[in-house]
Amino acid sequence: MKIDYREYSPNQRIAIIAASELVGYKSCFVGIGIPSDAACLAKLSVEPELNLIYESGAIGALPLSKSYSTGSPSIAHGADMITDSLSVFSDLQAGRIDVGLLSAAQIDKFGNLNSTVIGDYDDPKIRMVGSGGAHDIACLIPNLIILMPHDPRRFVDTVDFATSPGSGSDIKKIRDQLNLAEGPSILITDKAKFIMSDEGWLLHSILDSFTFAEATEGLPWSLKPTISGPIEIDPTIISALAQINY
Amino acid sequence: MIDKTSTVQDAIKNNVNAGDNIFIGGFGHLIPFYLSHELIRQKILDITICRSGADILFDQLIASEIVKKVIFGYVGNPTVGLSHSFSRAYKKKSIEIEEWTNQSIIMRLHAARMGVSFIPSKILQIGDKPSNIGHLKQVTCPYTDHKFSAIPALKPDIALIHAQCADKYGNIQMWGIDGDTIEGALASDKIIVSVEKIISNSKIKEAPEKTVIPSHRVSNIIELPWGAYPSYVSGFYSRDDDHYIEYDTTSRDEDKLSSYLKNWVHDARNIQEYKNLIGSTKIKELEEGLCGVKNED
Repeated sequence: MKIDYREYSPNQRIAIIAASELVGYKSCFVGIGIPSDAACLAKLSVEPELNLIYESGAIGALPLSKSYSTGSPSIAHGADMITDSLSVFSDLQAGRIDVGLLSAAQIDKFGNLNSTVIGDYDDPKIRMVGSGGAHDIACLIPNLIILMPHDPRRFVDTVDFATSPGSGSDIKKIRDQLNLAEGPSILITDKAKFIMSDEGWLLHSILDSFTFAEATEGLPWSLKPTISGPIEIDPTIISALAQINY
Repeated sequence: MIDKTSTVQDAIKNNVNAGDNIFIGGFGHLIPFYLSHELIRQKILDITICRSGADILFDQLIASEIVKKVIFGYVGNPTVGLSHSFSRAYKKKSIEIEEWTNQSIIMRLHAARMGVSFIPSKILQIGDKPSNIGHLKQVTCPYTDHKFSAIPALKPDIALIHAQCADKYGNIQMWGIDGDTIEGALASDKIIVSVEKIISNSKIKEAPEKTVIPSHRVSNIIELPWGAYPSYVSGFYSRDDDHYIEYDTTSRDEDKLSSYLKNWVHDARNIQEYKNLIGSTKIKELEEGLCGVKNED
């Protein structure tokens, strides 16, 4: 049966596509919001082996009700282990956590993410929350997937402040010199999947029900037409959506 | 053994000085609201407040104009939005900031806890760095020649934290989400702890593995049931998410925020008055919520 993905909310579509990307991983560093929804969805459908790890120190959590904080009761309740943040960040730095999911207010062509200020750092239009653990994850996680709603205002040529470093040829050279992880390799929006190249993001594939024009509308990067077929979604992911009642 | 139980007024008056650097505990869980509100009631000025991820308690301390400097990895109202008082003060330049990341704040506290002046790390070598940490130095590993950032120690004068239980000597028992609370407490010169319940020393000895801070490190213990509201305490009460959501609207408007602070801070002269403000219906609801005392599997 053909699925009309327009029936799902943008955040649900991001979670659906992201869950597909988590197949094969055993441990995932998760933040609150869409990243947490996506990791839960993968755990409930295509990757039951996935251990969700929160920076509050909760490991093996599966929050099935809305979590506001990374330390919320829904994260603690039902976790397999609660350790401290130092242990979780130590595991991250040691390369012991496979994959991470991040979102931010702004993203640019090279996957730099901004969660610090809109405008000038010392005299900003909007002062935001700051890095939290985002910078740390972007430097250290071996596989980094970025999740962003398709809102053109949030896709910019160069971020106002690079809270979490990206990739592409220049940054990758520095990352190699410093023995850091590779940085963002996949970007998922509510309409498409992009992959990182030396020249920045390339459109990889589009979610069925959406056109090339819709998937690239308002993005400041020049993008060639899709290079792969539509994004394949396992039907069990769609069935599992109902279990996450947020 | 010395009896370290105290009132919240005396604990703050006898241990905290204007200008102190204060670590505030709680990572979503166990946030010491009532204990830290005493800093506002006593108008302890020019303080520095620090922790990794901070939520609306930092907003309230900043709004009360007693904060000189904020050292942080994150300041916001998780999922709900920004810390509006922090944003206003930042734009007006009425506070100083030192902006780090959650991992680097925790490593800074860990360095102080270990008694070393820095810890090497892979982070904070690329990306944009705020000017306040622009002076961060790099070190070269003498064994591998790898480059690391030298994350400097952060040793607060005093830590204010909330936990489930303690005995009157100050042996602190805590469980559930810790985050950087124990790290920050043990990094600090002095520690003041509010708890849901004071228990006997023999109860402590029944499960000494639950003790996370030993009595000799603790200056004062205060029994403040519901003192972590609107955050939560595993085994006692759940988080009041609605309070956090409403606080977003309140804190956008400075007048509304002033009356909030009058009600919830200045006029709440003892913990019973704080409980009265929460109200019996809400108390029942949160005791039955996730991680609450009436929600045991």
